[in-house]
Amino acid sequence: MYGKVVTTRKRITSAIWALVVNTIFWIVIPYYVGVFLTGRVPESALTVPTFVYEFGILFIILEVGAAFFQGKAVAVPMISAVALLTVVYIWYATNGGVLGVETSGITLALDFRLMLYVLVLPSIWAAIRAPLSYMVWRRAMKAGVSTAPAASPVPQSDGSLPGQK
Amino acid sequence: MDNFVQVKRKTPMGIWALRGVTVAIALVVLLVIGSVVYSAYEDYTAVKAELAGGSQQAVGAAVLRGSTETVSINITVPNRGLYPLNVTLACDYPTTNVVCQRTSVNVAPGAEGVLRFRMTVFDLSQFENSGDNVINGTVAISMTPFVGLTVGTDFGGFVKTGGG
Repeated sequence: MYGKVVTTRKRITSAIWALVVNTIFWIVIPYYVGVFLTGRVPESALTVPTFVYEFGILFIILEVGAAFFQGKAVAVPMISAVALLTVVYIWYATNGGVLGVETSGITLALDFRLMLYVLVLPSIWAAIRAPLSYMVWRRAMKAGVSTAPAASPVPQSDGSLPGQK
Repeated sequence: MDNFVQVKRKTPMGIWALRGVTVAIALVVLLVIGSVVYSAYEDYTAVKAELAGGSQQAVGAAVLRGSTETVSINITVPNRGLYPLNVTLACDYPTTNVVCQRTSVNVAPGAEGVLRFRMTVFDLSQFENSGDNVINGTVAISMTPFVGLTVGTDFGGFVKTGGG
């Protein structure tokens, strides 16, 4: 991703796209889920917690930033931050892998801490991978010929290759 | 455009290595989640079938001798999943009038285990007439090492049903 030239137009398009998708995912869907739950079970305390929206705003800011600065060094901490925020969010949402419910005299406690470690593993790796990936690309671009940047000439309008005339 | 030379860069080996690690992690996660869900489903259907099946008379029996009632629960726990299954029954008794054993069974994948739980109420009439005849019990089921489910419920129902 770092080897490609990204135009300003593409940056803006990607940022708008990230804004729309993340707003739907983190704000619109949770809001309507909350409305649905309140409408279906009005006497219950089932609501969407505020932290979903708080995390959602952070996700939107970081995702839009990462999309706008794609291919640049400034996008790297944003991508890593999104991944780490995902870990914190999953951890927070699952109460650290121990969930408990009490209803009509029965208590249910689900302990899936080890499973949670497995679940957050891809996000932790994504946070590590982003700077590593950037460093590898940067080194490859600096090294130039040694990393085999195969130059492929683009045919000109008359079909000949540059320098053949 | 005429003299523009487009430079195509080969993806560096390091990037391929990073992608390889990503794919490996994704496979591990999918494998773990898939196997846990599969095991949970298989164990649930097997235990449900066992409880609903022909061995119902072996599930619970209450014997009243004088004023002392002994409730015996024998449950066959089949493990059709991929992970070892541990089932534990225990209870907290608020008075010395009720005594129960904490019992546990470990079942290897593909095997069956029998859980034998015994609970004794020494003075049944006192237990039934007292306002506080709740025996807080817990049923703990764990698919070692990934998931554990603990259900806390009233075991007093076993006594009332058996003795009454």
